[in-house]
Amino acid sequence: MGIVLKEISKSYDGRAVLKNLNLEINQGEFHVLLGPSGGGKTTTLSVMAGLTEQDSGSVSIGGLDVSNLSPDKRRIGFVFQDHALFPHLTVFDNVAYGLRVRRVKVHEMTRRVEYYLSKVSIAKEKGKFPHQLSGGQKQRAALARALVIEPEILLMDEPMSSLDSMTKESVRDELKSIQQEIGVTTVYVTHDQNEAILLGDRVSVLNNGRVEQIESPSELFHHPKTEFVARFVGIKNILKVSPIRINNHEATVQINNDGMEHPIRIRVKKYPIFEKGKEIDLCIHPEKITLKREEKTYAGDLNQIRGKIVKRTNNGNGFMAIVDIGGTTLHASISSDFKVRENVWVCFDPDAAHPLCGKKCRAAETKRRCLKE
Amino acid sequence: MKSLSFDLTVSLIAGIFVCLIVLPMLALFTTTSLGELVCQLKSPLVLSAVLISLETSLIVVFLALCLGIPVAYLLAMKDFKGKEILDTLVDLPICMPPLVAGLALLILLGGNSELGGMLSNHGIDLIFSKKGIIIAQLFVSIPFLIKSARDAFESINKNIINASLTLGASKFYTFKTILLPLAKNGIYTGMIMTWARALGEFGATSMVAGCIPFRTETMTVAIYQNAMSGELAASTAVALLLLVFSFTLLLVFKSRVKVQAG
Repeated sequence: MGIVLKEISKSYDGRAVLKNLNLEINQGEFHVLLGPSGGGKTTTLSVMAGLTEQDSGSVSIGGLDVSNLSPDKRRIGFVFQDHALFPHLTVFDNVAYGLRVRRVKVHEMTRRVEYYLSKVSIAKEKGKFPHQLSGGQKQRAALARALVIEPEILLMDEPMSSLDSMTKESVRDELKSIQQEIGVTTVYVTHDQNEAILLGDRVSVLNNGRVEQIESPSELFHHPKTEFVARFVGIKNILKVSPIRINNHEATVQINNDGMEHPIRIRVKKYPIFEKGKEIDLCIHPEKITLKREEKTYAGDLNQIRGKIVKRTNNGNGFMAIVDIGGTTLHASISSDFKVRENVWVCFDPDAAHPLCGKKCRAAETKRRCLKE
Repeated sequence: MKSLSFDLTVSLIAGIFVCLIVLPMLALFTTTSLGELVCQLKSPLVLSAVLISLETSLIVVFLALCLGIPVAYLLAMKDFKGKEILDTLVDLPICMPPLVAGLALLILLGGNSELGGMLSNHGIDLIFSKKGIIIAQLFVSIPFLIKSARDAFESINKNIINASLTLGASKFYTFKTILLPLAKNGIYTGMIMTWARALGEFGATSMVAGCIPFRTETMTVAIYQNAMSGELAASTAVALLLLVFSFTLLLVFKSRVKVQAG
């Protein structure tokens, strides 16, 4: 079943947490709500579950308006950040709880509980109480408890935030494969971009009570539409630019970040809504930047900017150089042979720069259409 | 050295506290012998006072559970207009002198009041009866159950309650299967405190129910009556019995909590 949130608003003590939020989640989709703390993710989930009553707007599940239904009538499963297992019940009884509520017959209840316990690999722990379980086991028990009632929607609120990285990885893989097998529509809240990329079929980035962008993970990472999304998914290089010349195939823009002594001109392809003089943000992924010790004389349309390495860090997968280009810095993925304080040329293809304009920009067709708008 | 003298000072203060509690209790034992104690406890007047006290205080605990748990739930789980006022009302009987509480109940339920007169016309006489004792004891002791149960409800993680609701349970089913079991230690504590307070209640009870032997004379009233009439042995016997009750109650409760925590 899909979920549709229409114009949802919610305030606490006069502080707006959700502002006319619209969101459409498809049936069977693994949808991730990504955003910083206080962005409205958990409130959105809580409104979907009926645990929080929205001030205005509507919630539909499977085409049915459930806005006025209490949580027990919504046929949802909820996995909480702190697991919220019932401390006085064993793992078996925790998982069986929802079935007892539904007065499922004992033999059927036992079969289903044992099936889901083995599915999440904690069948051996069924006689234990929550305080006797590890963090990963608690999370698995909470997942089994939510799944055993065969909900139409599975809601998960940062369920892995308290797990160590190894446990997180194995639970994440299991979760993804179980979700794909069962096909339950899942909404997963996290502030971890890696989790969002690895788990989500689509990701919604929430900021300040609104959806900034809804996209597939790779599209979100490679084509963020706003500066906030770009920064949140970890893009370091965001340049303020003003187009100074636009032709059919490319635009020449001038970098005008604060403190730049000498404006630098670069050429950009794939732009949708450039207008002369109107400032726009461009992002460039560090891996699309190469550093050269000498300027290429016949560089074609390659952008080349003179700079100096001010810092070099090891990020585990390789090295990252921070290059001062005079007034602003750019991050570049580099090999180990570059040194700090070395003068370099920052080189990147005109295709590398991506405008944060709120619209996609792929081909010349799109570009032309956007230019007309 | 400074740390040692600090520890010594704290230990001395603790010693003063122990003396404050233990010495008066020991003093009770010095006024009577075991034989005399047994003899006094067998007397019909003392036995009647013990039975009246046990009967009324146990009924009070039951009524306090029925009335107090919903109020505690309301205070712990809900936000509503007038919550502060209700909260203050719960604390009021603890701060109010029992004699004042007794006087207020006497005025409300006495034959001269409208309510008292109406009840009397229906054959319900609350003043100078066991029912009066129960009302007076309930008035002064119910806050202990409400406060203890409220704290217990408040300490339950809200997500546990939400988890139950999202699993399809109604609010009542959640209350019955999750809240009550998780709050039981707090409720037991409240019950013990309420029972102890009801057993020890004197001022309000004597104002509302008087001191009629074999009818409204509770253990505390018997202690007072006997002490005032020079029957120190009988007074001490009942006082020691009350002491044993209180001590046993606390011991049973603490061992139970320990077993559950373990």
